[in-house]
Amino acid sequence: MIEGRKQNNVLTYIILIFGLLLIVFPLYITIVTAFKSNVQSSQSFFTPPIPIYLDGFKEVLSNERYWRAFFNTVYVTAIVLAGNIVIMPAMSYAVARKIPVSKAYRIVYYFLLLGIFIPFQVKMMPLVKLLSSLNMMNPTGLGILCISSSTCESVFLFVGFMGAIPPDMEEAAWIDGASTLKTYTSVVFPLLKPMLATVLIKQGLWMWNDFMLPLITLNRGWKDWTLTLFQYNFQTEYTINYSLTFSTFLASMLPLLIFYCIMQKSIVGGLTAGAVKS
Amino acid sequence: MGNKKESGSTSRRQKSRDRAFLLFTAPGFLLYLFFFITPVLMGIYYSLTDWDGISKKYNIIGLGNYVKIFRTSQFMDSLIFTLKYTILLVVFTIVLGIIIAMLLNRKIKGKGFFRAIYFIPAVLSSMTIGLIFNKLCYYIIPIIGKALNIAALSQNPLADKKLAMWTILFVNLWQGLCIPTLLFLAGLQSVPTDLYEGAVLDGATSWDVFRYITLPFLLPVVSVVFVLTLKSGLMVFDYIMAMTGGGPGSATRSVAMLIYKHGFTQNKYAFSIAEAIVMGIIVAAISAAQIYFTDKKKAV
Repeated sequence: MIEGRKQNNVLTYIILIFGLLLIVFPLYITIVTAFKSNVQSSQSFFTPPIPIYLDGFKEVLSNERYWRAFFNTVYVTAIVLAGNIVIMPAMSYAVARKIPVSKAYRIVYYFLLLGIFIPFQVKMMPLVKLLSSLNMMNPTGLGILCISSSTCESVFLFVGFMGAIPPDMEEAAWIDGASTLKTYTSVVFPLLKPMLATVLIKQGLWMWNDFMLPLITLNRGWKDWTLTLFQYNFQTEYTINYSLTFSTFLASMLPLLIFYCIMQKSIVGGLTAGAVKS
Repeated sequence: MGNKKESGSTSRRQKSRDRAFLLFTAPGFLLYLFFFITPVLMGIYYSLTDWDGISKKYNIIGLGNYVKIFRTSQFMDSLIFTLKYTILLVVFTIVLGIIIAMLLNRKIKGKGFFRAIYFIPAVLSSMTIGLIFNKLCYYIIPIIGKALNIAALSQNPLADKKLAMWTILFVNLWQGLCIPTLLFLAGLQSVPTDLYEGAVLDGATSWDVFRYITLPFLLPVVSVVFVLTLKSGLMVFDYIMAMTGGGPGSATRSVAMLIYKHGFTQNKYAFSIAEAIVMGIIVAAISAAQIYFTDKKKAV
C-alpha cells in the first residue's frame, strides 16, 4: 500500500514536471531569444544567452511606439478600473437594496444581466459605427465603452456579494441620521472591498489583454495602439529579426508577469470568481 | 403631534434615499443602455438590410441575409470547423482539467510551486501567446521534428491544413486549461476527506473512488466549465488571428474570423451582422443553460 503510493507519487511528479516543461518552454525560448543576437539564435535556439545580448531589448525599450502603446494600455485599463470603482459598486448597492421592494429595480437588474447572453460579435459592427459617429475611435472612447462592457459581470458579482452583507450597520448609520451617500461611502463601500479587489483584477486583466476591441476601434494609427495591437502590427514588420521579435513579446508580457509574481493569490481568486463573461 | 412630525421626516428621508439610489444607478445604466443595448438593436435592424457599411443608400430586404447564410457554403464550412474545434476543446479541457487538478491536489512536496507555474498562462494575453507560438511553429518545431525524425513536425505545422487546427487547439489548451483547472481544484477541495477514508477501508479501487465519490462532487463544476469552454470555443478569434489568420486556405476559418473578414475587409456589413446574430442565438441558448446550471450549483 505504501509502496503503491510511492510509485503513484513518482508518476505524479513525472506528469507534473512534463506539464511544467510544456508551460515553461515557450516562455524560456521567448526570454533567451530576446537576449541573444541573431547569429547566436541561428546557431541554436535552445542555449542560454551567453554572452548576453541586450541590443534587441534596448531597441524595443527605446521605441516610442512601445511606450505609447504601454501608456495607452495603462490609460484604457485605468478608465475601466475607475468605472468599476466609482460606478459599479454604487449601482449594485442601490440595485441590491431595492430589489426586494421595487419591481422597477428588479427589472433593471435582469436587464443589466441580459448582456451575458449576447456575444460580442453581435454588437461589434454597429459599435464601430456608433463610436465613429461620436468621434470616439480613440483610447478614451474605448475605455468608456469598456466600462459598459464590464457591467454585466461586475453587477452580477457585487449584487451577489451585497446579499451576504447584513443591513444592520447601514441601518445603524441611517438611525444616526447619516445621508444615503454618507452611509454608502463610510459603511457599505469599505465592506465591499474584498469583492472590489476581485472585480478589479478580473476587469483589469481583461482590458489589458483584450485584442478584439482595440483592433476594431484603435487600429488606424500607431498613436492609438494598445500593447496587443502593437505586437500584432509589429510582427508583420520584422519577421527575420529574432531578438527584436521576442524582445517585443517579452516587453509586453513583463508587466503582467511582475504583477502575477506580486499578487498571485488575489489573481487566482479573482479569476475563478463568478465566471460569467461572454 | 410629535409622532406625526417624525413619520413625516422619515418619509422625507426615505424619498431622499430613493433619489440617491436613482443617482447611483443612472450613470452605469445609461452607459450600458447606450454602448451595449443600442448597438445590439442597431445590429438587428442592419441585419435586415443590404447595407455595405459605406454607401449612403441601402434597402430593407427582410430576412434575405439570413436565407443567404444557409444557402452559401462559407458560413456552413466555418460553422462545421468551429463546432469540431469546440467539441475537441471542451472534451480536452474537461478531461485534462480534472486530471491536472487531481494531480495538483495530491499531498506532494512542491505543490505550491507547481501551482504557481501552472497558472501563469492565465494572466497573459491570448494575442501574445498566439504570436509566440506562431514563431515557435515557424522556427523551432521543424528543428525538433527533424531531430526526433517525426515527418509531420519537420515543417511548420501551421502551414499544414490538417495540423493547423490541432496546433491552435494545443495553444488554446495551453492557456485555456488554467481557469477550468482552478475551478476543478476548488471542487475537489469540497469533497469531505472522511468519504475517501471510508471507501479505502471498504476496499474500493481507485476507479470506484473516482467514479462514486470524486465525480459526483465535481459535476456542478463540470457543467460550468462545459458552458464556459463551449462559449469560448464557439467564438474563438484571437489565437486564429495570431497564428494562421484563418488559413492555410480556409482550413482554420472560425465563424468569428469569418464575421470579422466579411464585416471589415469585404464590405459585407449587413450580411456579417446577420451571421453574428445567428451565432449569437446559438451562444445565447448555451448561456441560458449556464445560468440554469450555476443556480443549481449554488443549491448544492
